[in-house]
Amino acid sequence: MLEIRGLRKVFGAGKVALDGVSFAVPAGQMFGFVGANGAGKTTTMRIVMGVLQADEGEVIWNGRPLTFAERRTFGYMPEERGLYQKMRVGEQIDYFGRLHGLDAGAVGKARDALIGRLGLTERVNDTVESLSLGNQQRVQLAVALIHDPELLILDEPFSGLDPIAVDVLAEVLHERARGGVPVIFSSHQLELVERLCDAVGIVSAGSMVASGTVDELRDAEGRRLRVVVREPKPGWADGLPGELSKDGDRDVLTVVGGDDQAVLRRAVEAGHVEFFGVERPTLVEIFREAVA
Amino acid sequence: MNGLLMVAGREIRTQVRTRAFVIGLIVSALLVGGIAFAPKLFGGPDEYNLGRVGGQELAVQALAPEAKITWKTYPDERAATTAVLDGDVDVALVDGTRVLTNGEIDDELGLLLQSANREAQIGAAGVTVTPLQVQSVGADTRYEAARQGIANVVVLLLFFMIISAVMTVAMGVVEEKGSRIVEILLISIRPWQLLGGKILGLGVVGFINLVAVVAAGLVGAFLSGFAADFPPGMAGIVVNAVVWWILGYAFFAVLAGSLASLVSRQEEVGNVLQPMMLLFLISYGVSFFASANPGHPVSEILSFVPPFSSMVMPVRMAASDVALWAILLSGALMVVAVAAVLMVGGRIYERAVLRTGRRLKVSEVLRTK
Repeated sequence: MLEIRGLRKVFGAGKVALDGVSFAVPAGQMFGFVGANGAGKTTTMRIVMGVLQADEGEVIWNGRPLTFAERRTFGYMPEERGLYQKMRVGEQIDYFGRLHGLDAGAVGKARDALIGRLGLTERVNDTVESLSLGNQQRVQLAVALIHDPELLILDEPFSGLDPIAVDVLAEVLHERARGGVPVIFSSHQLELVERLCDAVGIVSAGSMVASGTVDELRDAEGRRLRVVVREPKPGWADGLPGELSKDGDRDVLTVVGGDDQAVLRRAVEAGHVEFFGVERPTLVEIFREAVA
Repeated sequence: MNGLLMVAGREIRTQVRTRAFVIGLIVSALLVGGIAFAPKLFGGPDEYNLGRVGGQELAVQALAPEAKITWKTYPDERAATTAVLDGDVDVALVDGTRVLTNGEIDDELGLLLQSANREAQIGAAGVTVTPLQVQSVGADTRYEAARQGIANVVVLLLFFMIISAVMTVAMGVVEEKGSRIVEILLISIRPWQLLGGKILGLGVVGFINLVAVVAAGLVGAFLSGFAADFPPGMAGIVVNAVVWWILGYAFFAVLAGSLASLVSRQEEVGNVLQPMMLLFLISYGVSFFASANPGHPVSEILSFVPPFSSMVMPVRMAASDVALWAILLSGALMVVAVAAVLMVGGRIYERAVLRTGRRLKVSEVLRTK
């Protein structure tokens, strides 16, 4: 379980990058980190990985402040990818595995399994600079995973990947999460986050404005009823809560909360009810609402 | 320690396997070996072919025991003239009175012939000339020229071998910082392991280069016979140069590594290394001066002041005799200087290497924690 408590970070020119960010990611949870550019996602992740020092707040791992030795067991994929361009794929993965403390035998096994899983078997003897960007990203991921990390922090791991690669990566991350590893990743692809993540944290201007499971966030938004009535009697919705809009000869009524059965009765009296149902907000809508 | 050795191992493997390293090693070895061998091709002892028509051979050989003198006899002046014009002989002596040459006579040969002629005529007159006895009341200077030459070689060797290895360290540091690899590396190892491993690994590579060049030079010198002129204690001079290379490399590599961590782009390396380069070039200049003036107060004083001493002391040792206490004192001071630069440089590196972006100042890095 990783807990972030009250992180605050002010950069040189007095720019407040983080203003009390707190959240927790339990074992086996896939946590999606979303927010506008410059909201503080990368800064938070860099503090967890020790690349930056927080001005205030702490990072707690399994109940105690995170130490260097524990962080060594984490896997990290920074936003700006970093690999030795002239080093071969296999050697590069091995090198990072060894630095994380694996012996040569364990590294070999883990590397072979990973490159097979990520579709890099053919490229194992190529230098990194000769690979496409997508393949370089796979190598970057392999470097983050080689030591079977106890926590994964990935900054924009899906950006620039083709749909097939996205599926492979999603599958790999799911496997790790099922194995009990907390997985934290940031992304601007909200549909992807919604589909993959157990929990989501939305940061805006250095603060966590909403966090929880996707269902919790939806419930917090409230149930939203949508009714479509064809050729309604004028003024049928007078006195009902919600917003009414016209779409040709149809009226569309959107109601948050309230008595849905009363609304239904009025709609049936008013005309042909074409649609009546509770709609759940998408993450995109929740996000817009949260950062507005 | 393990992390440090792993980093060093990667540096060595990566460098040694590049084509640039292999080609560079071969070219520099061939070049140095060739230069050492060159005296055999271009120099060597003087060699004169002399023709004679009538008269007696002059005792030129006795005056120039090192030179190779060959006499050829011709039946008449015409044959001798042809031989001179054809280059079969350098000059021809006719009847012991005239010398036929093709244009100007070689200065040294001219002097030899005139002296030999004078002695022959004085001898014929029944006068014996007692040669002057030369007796040195100063130090043994037989090897001065050779030591001077070797000191010059040591200066150049240290200059090139230190700066090439040091620049590799600086470029490597910026490569890791600029590409953000350092952010991943520093999850699993400490900054001192990363910088230390790099300096150690590239030091080993530089050492291989140095040893190859020195070995090629010695082999060339032995093959050419030039080694016969080596002063006594040549082995000591070579070992000294190598040991002082290690000290000089350590100092400048730490300095270069920590300064390079202030910038994030390769283009900025030259700029940020300027203070170090200035220090290095002064060391070079002074050591060049010391190779010609090993006993000058400036040479003597700076052979104790780090980091100048790392280049001046070995050069002084090659060019002249230096007391053991002086060598040990200078070495100890240099080791202290390396330790000091390691402490400050390590701190700069540790604080700067994760701060990518614009160029940082040493003062701001040391001020913040």
